[in-house]
Amino acid sequence: MSDGTVTDDDPKKKYHYHFDRHTPEYRSQFKTITEELLQKCPVAWSDTYGGHWVASSSHAVFELARCPHISNDHDMNGERRGYQGIAIPQRPSMARGGMLEMDAPEHRWYRNVLNPYMSPAAVKRWEPFINEVVRASIDEKIEEGRIDFVDDLANVTPAVLTMAMLGIPLKKWTLYSEPMHASIYTPEHSPEAARVTEQTYEMGTDLLANVNEIRQNPRPGLVNALINMRIDGEPAPEIEILGMLMLIIGGGFDTTTALTAHALEWLGQNPQQREVLSKQRDTLLDSATEEFLRFYTPAPGDGRTFSDDVELDGIHFKEGERLYISWAMANRDPLVFPDPNKIILDRKGNRHFSFGLGAHRCIGSNVGRTVFKSMLTTVLDRMPDYRCDPENTVHYETIGVIQGMRHLPATFTPSTRLGRGLDETLDKLQKICAEQELARPITERRESARID
Amino acid sequence: MKVRVDPQRCQGHTPRAIIAPRIFRLSDIDGSSSVVCEVVPPDQDEPVHEAAHSCRERAIPVEETQNGSKRGIDHEKVREATA
Repeated sequence: MSDGTVTDDDPKKKYHYHFDRHTPEYRSQFKTITEELLQKCPVAWSDTYGGHWVASSSHAVFELARCPHISNDHDMNGERRGYQGIAIPQRPSMARGGMLEMDAPEHRWYRNVLNPYMSPAAVKRWEPFINEVVRASIDEKIEEGRIDFVDDLANVTPAVLTMAMLGIPLKKWTLYSEPMHASIYTPEHSPEAARVTEQTYEMGTDLLANVNEIRQNPRPGLVNALINMRIDGEPAPEIEILGMLMLIIGGGFDTTTALTAHALEWLGQNPQQREVLSKQRDTLLDSATEEFLRFYTPAPGDGRTFSDDVELDGIHFKEGERLYISWAMANRDPLVFPDPNKIILDRKGNRHFSFGLGAHRCIGSNVGRTVFKSMLTTVLDRMPDYRCDPENTVHYETIGVIQGMRHLPATFTPSTRLGRGLDETLDKLQKICAEQELARPITERRESARID
Repeated sequence: MKVRVDPQRCQGHTPRAIIAPRIFRLSDIDGSSSVVCEVVPPDQDEPVHEAAHSCRERAIPVEETQNGSKRGIDHEKVREATA
């Protein structure tokens, strides 16, 4: 461990840059700060939050995120080397952040359990289900000519799908969605914080109840998979199962919401591009999705710990030092992305960093893409002339954890419903989940969901 | 032109199979990628290049054969350019 002293040739002094991603200024000055870091100090040392390195260039992020001497471990009980996982600063929590706060081989044990539920082929089976949730969410608002894209669409679909994949009743989605969303955007000292804590507690209680219920009466899904996994013949520790479930819920909810809201906001501001995307979606939808992912990077970065002394481009890092890897800033590196601050819907060679890199690559990336595309294309089809209301649009005040939005109200030319509303649709989908056992892994069920 | 996927590097990000579905196949279980045909038909040159350039993990070496001479893998060049 470093003793914290700073000498003239100390890299912490040489590469010093005051960096605080949890301030509103980081959001408002994101472009300027990013350009400054990329040009002057692509690997910087910041004294904030106990001191940590900040990697912003595509090169540094690529090398460090895949470096075998960098740890994700969160050693909650001081049993190993005391590393603090992926949050900088450390956040109070009951459990590790699932496999995202584990290293090999432990990380791989859990990941292997999730893979057959979340591979591209596994996610594809859910497409009719996803489209039906999106259809119903839009139908709730289509006659009014008014919608909040965050509250009424982008919050709903990812949450309902996550419930279904977990094997938790679909109607519980609000119980989970509200605290997951609010705990990200509510500042610690806000008067709202107590309410959010209470909601988080209710969610945790319900989650535990579901785990116990599924243990007694198994039903397919990720909860069941985690209960039944074995490590050297033993079940996974209860606290790790809960950590994994919270990771799935946290990863599944606010990120896709954030991406969708930002994309819809931008397309509302650029109606010509919106029309081009809608008309040429066969060729543009995939590249546009990757470009929105790059530009808006919903999860902007992660913390790590050096698990050995490492050198990169002449900078010496010491074991135990903390590192923040910025996917969001690497995504604006002009060496990889020409015109990095411009959204180019048909961008080529878009090897963006938004799902992370290396062994911890976002396991839900295909869930996110699929849900996003369904919501976006449905809006383009059914509300092609929508206009967002900038005065009542609310972005998260800070983007240290998620670059999200709280509200994105819009108006559009009303039209007619295509089917039933959300509540009735969720009842119907719940039955379909049970009858067709949709939440089974791809190894047990290959067919797509059938929605009549 | 020949193409392969480095299994040590591939993390199953998926874009290659979206961009060049005739060349790359994804595992149903974990989404990791493999090549369907190593020798790329000429009409697939462009999507294969685009897939290689889009790969986050730099896991798709492309080997070009022109007039009998081999052009090297372009990944190192890309890495140099970003250094």
